[in-house]
Amino acid sequence: MSLDLDQALQTYIAEARELLQDMEDSLLRLESDPNDADTIGAIFRAAHTIKGSAGLFGLDPIVSFTHIVEDVLDRVRDGDVVIEPNLIAVLLESGDHMLHLVNVVAAQGEKLDADAIKREGGLRIRLQAYQDNSSEVSHAIQVEAEIPLQSSGGGLVETDNWHISLRFGQNVMRDGMDPLSFLRYLSTLGEIVSITTMFDALPIADEMDAESCYLGFEIDFKSEADKATIAGVFEFAREGSLIHILPPHSKLTEYVELIRSLPESETRLGEILVTTGALTQQELEAGLSEQQTSARPDGSTTPLGEILVEQRSVEHEVVQAALDKQTQSKDSKSKENRYIRVQADKLDELINMVGELVIAGAGVSLLAQRVSDNPLQEAASVMSGLVEEIRDGALRLRMVPIGETFNRFQRVVRDVGRELGKDIELVITGADTELDKTVVEKIGDPLMHLVRNAMDHGIESAAIRQATGKSVKGTLRLNAYHDSGSIVIEIVDDGGGLNRDRILQKARDRGLIAPNVTPPDQEIYNMIFEAGFSTAEAITNLSGRGVGMDVVKRNITALRGTVSLDSAVGQGTTVSIRLPLTLAIIDGFLVGVGKSSYIVPLDMVHECIELTENDRQAASERSYLNLRGEVLPFVMLRDHFEVEGSGARRANVVVVSCAGQKAGLVVDELMGEFQTVIKPLGKIFSTLRGISGSTILGSGEVALILDVPSLVQQAVNRESQHVSTRQVIH
Amino acid sequence: MGKAILIVDDSASVRQVVGIALKGAGYDVIEGCDGKDALTKLNGQKIHLIISDVNMPNMDGITFVKEVKKLANYKFTPIIMLTTESQEGKKQEGQAAGAKAWVVKPFQPAQMLTAVSKLILP
Repeated sequence: MSLDLDQALQTYIAEARELLQDMEDSLLRLESDPNDADTIGAIFRAAHTIKGSAGLFGLDPIVSFTHIVEDVLDRVRDGDVVIEPNLIAVLLESGDHMLHLVNVVAAQGEKLDADAIKREGGLRIRLQAYQDNSSEVSHAIQVEAEIPLQSSGGGLVETDNWHISLRFGQNVMRDGMDPLSFLRYLSTLGEIVSITTMFDALPIADEMDAESCYLGFEIDFKSEADKATIAGVFEFAREGSLIHILPPHSKLTEYVELIRSLPESETRLGEILVTTGALTQQELEAGLSEQQTSARPDGSTTPLGEILVEQRSVEHEVVQAALDKQTQSKDSKSKENRYIRVQADKLDELINMVGELVIAGAGVSLLAQRVSDNPLQEAASVMSGLVEEIRDGALRLRMVPIGETFNRFQRVVRDVGRELGKDIELVITGADTELDKTVVEKIGDPLMHLVRNAMDHGIESAAIRQATGKSVKGTLRLNAYHDSGSIVIEIVDDGGGLNRDRILQKARDRGLIAPNVTPPDQEIYNMIFEAGFSTAEAITNLSGRGVGMDVVKRNITALRGTVSLDSAVGQGTTVSIRLPLTLAIIDGFLVGVGKSSYIVPLDMVHECIELTENDRQAASERSYLNLRGEVLPFVMLRDHFEVEGSGARRANVVVVSCAGQKAGLVVDELMGEFQTVIKPLGKIFSTLRGISGSTILGSGEVALILDVPSLVQQAVNRESQHVSTRQVIH
Repeated sequence: MGKAILIVDDSASVRQVVGIALKGAGYDVIEGCDGKDALTKLNGQKIHLIISDVNMPNMDGITFVKEVKKLANYKFTPIIMLTTESQEGKKQEGQAAGAKAWVVKPFQPAQMLTAVSKLILP
């Protein structure tokens, strides 16, 4: 059971983090549209749920702090507190603090540090300014709900039993309450000494309504429990019912009050009280005569219930109208319902199995072809079609839109902008672009660094911007789109751009570029991804320590991605990150060179052409082909991978494109599309150029997956070298 | 077969913890993640008690209770509302709608068990 609870706690932590993220997003939205009731409702609900669930786990620090936040939000929702920038700032910080509290819980055994305690103190004071100081309202209601007791002199009654008079409301069964269940529960608190059923209210059979409750009970009860506990038993039945609880040794007058207030006749009640031993005959007589002389108007309790009911029915209609309106607006976004939370490793397992299924399926297809049995081939082809659909479906399970990651930066941009004293707007485009969840998780940090960098070094201060005739407000753009099997994420700023000369100088100082060589601008810009490279004049606490850009590059490379940078002086900088869509299975194009097979990711394949005899001869002296008048650099895979044996009689060129550059790969044989389950290569092969992974063919043979970007780069470089050396010779 | 309790809350952790406590006490537990979802869980099976949160997306607890009260099979099913101390108004709305019992959030699992056992025994 404790294991289950631990699991529940993990659920809570994940849930709370998500809610806090929602809360932050909503708060930022509120900044631009302070009157959006839906958003306010969502924020309140987030805080409410976090608090409510924290209580279940006894996470008191979270409960007590969130309570204040919830209280303030409640007042915002009711319109008692006006939304203004300071309030949003406090709430954002409160959200951060709540996240910190949740994280402390997550890191079991960790204690809240002194800083956090101090911070919480500060936040509490700031939040209090928005709280209602007259919070006695709820107490008042509770007191009112207590059963009024008269205590006006008179002797004490002998018995040491409690006396309970119950007259259930007629609606109690309609409300789903079983009168018997209350009595059963009562008996768990002590001993029921006697119980008398009062059925005086029962109408004649014709008038009786089977759904109504006409019963009452007079109970003598022996218990150590206190009055609140005993009253608590009937808590849920209080509405519409008459419940009187007299403690042991109550005053005689209280019994008399009781008798008076109950609907049955005095004599009948008196008899019962005497027979059950609650009162002695003398006590009863003394009490009744005393009361008569003091001549009080009787029947004080009955109307209370009626008034309450009446009050409620009035309230009911008013509230109904308001509620209908609320639900209408909520129905429109019925999205949450459709999600199922699945553990990530279960999904990974599924995808692994699908991978194996794909390989096994390929094996079956191959066998079917070999035995050339038509019906078998047909069956195999239907199956492989289905396998393909399953594969796509399974992979899509892991695809998430990048919007969520992008939206996190709204807050970062806002906070960092304030810190730097710059007014910067974040524009997000392509938020719907989907990519693999594992990639999303790992892209957060590099993005964070790039965004901060762009804000700190890219976008100029307001004064400079004004002087150069730009709008004072800087713009940072996050964009994402799909491009031939990859996702491209761009971080674009409209700042001053990179200082090409300074980077060149620094690169020369560090010996990264020889003094007499001047590479193309793009290459110079990309120097900033080298380790320890920072040209910032002033180091701020945000960036400029020279660590980071190289780490960014390393992280992205680890995801089989690339990063590049372009810049125009005075206009801004664009950093493009190119990542593979998925890390597990791709559509491949199978090609053969000699006896080996290679896979080209299908998304990158543009077309296939035959390598003509002319081209073949020309290829020995230059490294490009003529593709309908276009210069097409190419790589002979046979040479590149040093495949043994003589070349095939006919060779083919697979035209691939990557990042806007085209290149040709010369192969012997084109073998068609192939579903490729990517198997990583071992560490030994990490230095191999031009290969990014391996896969298993239906026959059980291994095929290597080509690293097209690096091959294209190589072809392009070689071609330009070729051109330049020839220029030197001539 | 124990008695069946339907717990409706948009917080998965609340459902989980309440579920553990109730199952431990011998009840069967059915979960619903909001009012709308919960209504679909009421498809004719016997449910002895419903526990519902007030603040939920899609369909809030008050509306949910009203809907339940319209269903012939469930109109006599006791309903416990989960309210907070700052929601006195909500509690009364809930009672007007037909949820006569309540538990104040934040609560400990034991408190929930107490409230449940006042209404039904396992």
